[in-house]
Parts: sequence; C-alpha cells; structure tokens
Amino acid sequence: MRMIELYIQEVTRRLPEKSREDIALELRSTIEDMLPDNYTEKEVKSVLEKMGNPAILASGYLDRPMHLIGPRYFDIYINLLKMILPIAAVISLISFIADTIISYSGEEAVLNIILNAVGFGIWRILSTGVQVFFWLTVVFAIIERTDHRKNQTPLTACFKEWTPEDLNNIPYIPKEKAIPKVEVLLGLLWTAIWASVYFNAASLLGVYEKGSNGLEFVMPTFNQDVLYSYWPLVIMVIGLEIAVASYKLLKGEWTRKIAALNTVMHGVSSIVFIFIISNNQLFNPSFVTYMTDLFSITGDFGSWIFWAAIFTFLLFAAIDIYQGFRKANLKNVK
Amino acid sequence: MSTLLNSLTTELRRGTLTLAVLSQLRTPQYGYSLVQLLEQCGISIEQSTLYPLLRRLEKQELVTSSWDTTENRPRRYYVLTPYGIEIFQQLKKEWEKTSQELSLLLKGDETDEND
Repeated sequence: MRMIELYIQEVTRRLPEKSREDIALELRSTIEDMLPDNYTEKEVKSVLEKMGNPAILASGYLDRPMHLIGPRYFDIYINLLKMILPIAAVISLISFIADTIISYSGEEAVLNIILNAVGFGIWRILSTGVQVFFWLTVVFAIIERTDHRKNQTPLTACFKEWTPEDLNNIPYIPKEKAIPKVEVLLGLLWTAIWASVYFNAASLLGVYEKGSNGLEFVMPTFNQDVLYSYWPLVIMVIGLEIAVASYKLLKGEWTRKIAALNTVMHGVSSIVFIFIISNNQLFNPSFVTYMTDLFSITGDFGSWIFWAAIFTFLLFAAIDIYQGFRKANLKNVK
Repeated sequence: MSTLLNSLTTELRRGTLTLAVLSQLRTPQYGYSLVQLLEQCGISIEQSTLYPLLRRLEKQELVTSSWDTTENRPRRYYVLTPYGIEIFQQLKKEWEKTSQELSLLLKGDETDEND
C-alpha cells in the first residue's frame, strides 16, 4: 500500500543512512501486524494515526535534540546575548558616527548629513544586532549538538555547574552607587563625537550662510594649523577618557579609586582645554571680526568667549568629580 | 483542566514505561506483541515512544534483538540480556520502594482529610 510506504519514507528520510533499512523493515512489519488481513484504506489511516507524526517518531530514534538550544545552555546563551548585543550596538554606532564625521567633505549641509546618518545609524545597529544574534545562536546550537553528555543541568557563566561558591563572585552593587552602562556608553559616544569634530574642525565648525544650495560653509571658526598643532595632547585626553570609561564599565560601581581616576581625567582634560583655548592665535581672525560685527559686542570678543568657555568646562568637570566622590563614599548597606 | 490532568498523567507515567517494557521482555517479544501485552495490563504506550525506546534499550545493552524470518512476515524480536535482567531487578526494587513511600504519603493525606 502506497500510504504505508510513504509513511515509512517520511520517517526514514530523517534518519542516518545506515539505520534506515533496518528501521524501515521493522516499521513495515509492525504496521502490518496492526492491520487485519484484508485491510482497507480507512484502516491504514487509523493505524498510521496511532503511529503518530513521522517527525516525532524519527526524533525518537535519533539522539539529536528537537530544540536548537536546550536547558543546559539556554541561561548562558541569554546572558551572553544581553551582554554582547548592547556593546556591539554601541561600538557600531560609535564607529559609524566617527566615520560619518571624518568622511564629511563640507559640501553638503550638516542637517542633511544628520538626517541621513540617523537612518543609516539605525540600519547599522539593526544589522550588527542581527549578525551578533545569528552567530551566537549558531555557536550555541553547535555546542548543544556536540555535547553528548546526558546531563541536562543548566550551566553558569563559567560553563560549570552552580555551587554556592559562585555567589562570592557576584558583586553586590547598591543602586545609588552603580554606574549605569548607558551613562558610560553615552560618555564614549560623546568622546567619539568631539574627537571627530576636532579632527575635522576645518570643514565643520564655522559660519554657515544661506546660499543657492542650502547652507554653505563660509569660514572656519579656528585657525586650523594652530588647532592641529595640539594633536598629541588631544590624543592623550581621548586615550584617558576611553581608559576611564572602560574601567567604569568593568567595575560597574563608584569606588574611591574610580572617583580619583575620574578627577585625574577631568583635571588633565581641563588643563589641556585651557591650554589650547588660551592661545590667542587659535581663532580665525576673520571669524572674530564676523562675530563681533554680528552681535555688535563691544570690547574684546575673544576674552569674553574665553572666560565663558572655561567657566562652563570647569563647572561640568567639578560637578562630575563631586558626584563621583559622593557616590563612592556612600555606605554599602549589606 | 482535563488537558492539564492529561499532561500530568503522561508525565507521571513516562518514567514507568521503561520498567513496564523491561518486565515483559523476559521472553522474546516483537513490537506489536509487546504493545498487546502492555495493553492487556491496561498500559497504553504511544507507538512513537515504544519503538525508539526499544532501540535505545538495545544501545544500552539491556536487550538484544534478532530478526525472525521463519513466519510469513519478518519480525524483530527483543529479549533481556543478563545485564538487562540485573538492571530490571534493581529498577523493580526501586519502584516498589517508591510506591510504598508514596502510598504512605497518600495515606497520611487521607487521614488529614478525615480529621
């Protein structure tokens, strides 16, 4: 009967080649055992219904699991996914922003660039997310299939079974002392933005005027040669900011050490900032004239902007340093 | 409600299937005769569970199998190995112990209700 053959074929095509013939033979004899001598199609159907879904029968013969990731690895898988996805997303976003700013030629209006960048940025984050998700899942599906131990006990993050000792490795972080990952990542994003702007100030910062093709870049704010001559100092500040951010991510909570490092970072960047801005060759002379005319400021435009910038910079640095120490000194309520 | 009860019952019975199958394999049986034997005692077993289970028992060396081609259709017969007999006896003891413990617990439950 055709239906019996088809059923057997449906089961055996899911099995390894070498066991197919044997199992097919046994299934056929079993099915015939269940049928009366002169059977009808209806009887065949009812017997096959008893045998059940061929896929389930075949998976019974196979030791292979019918799931992608089983209980043993699921918890690690989810935890890794939660940890890696945001990091990958931020890294791709930062590299994208830096890339956009660096490749900016100054021909297009900034607003258009930003609008395009938002769309592309979202696309980049999504595609990175899909990539991470895909590869992590593939790796875990392979682990699941190559691990032939029968043990199904879920594993902890170190790929070992849980013991009470593991509790000692979990940092206890009160909410007020915690450094949120978002805060650190936004900080890194800000570093990437200002660094990119610094290295492209010639085509980004300056006066824009309405022209025939929308906004047109008229003159830069800074004297490029003077601004660029400080690049080793700027690189040093960037390195420091990244180092402190990484350390914050690693620790996850404010400690005295982190607060001190934070102070050093702000101190160094403030000194560098003041050092650069106090160079009176820094501003493009035609820009200064332009601004003075525009706002009809009496007196020294340079010194006015100089003190305002320094005051703002120091104020923010001081607030952050203070917050760091305040949080570090909070008592751990255990 | 009845689907929940069904799934709980299936779960409860699943563990006892191996024992039930082993108990009937002291004499050689082929697939369908085993199903009938079990059904006579009121144990219904999914076909899709039984045949793979027999293969697995063979892999674990608890049973051996051989083809009998003397009858009008070839049949595969399964029978306990000496190792299988040994394991079966131990499993049987475990079951008796469990069922005693459980009946004690369930009895306690009944007296509680009567109070």
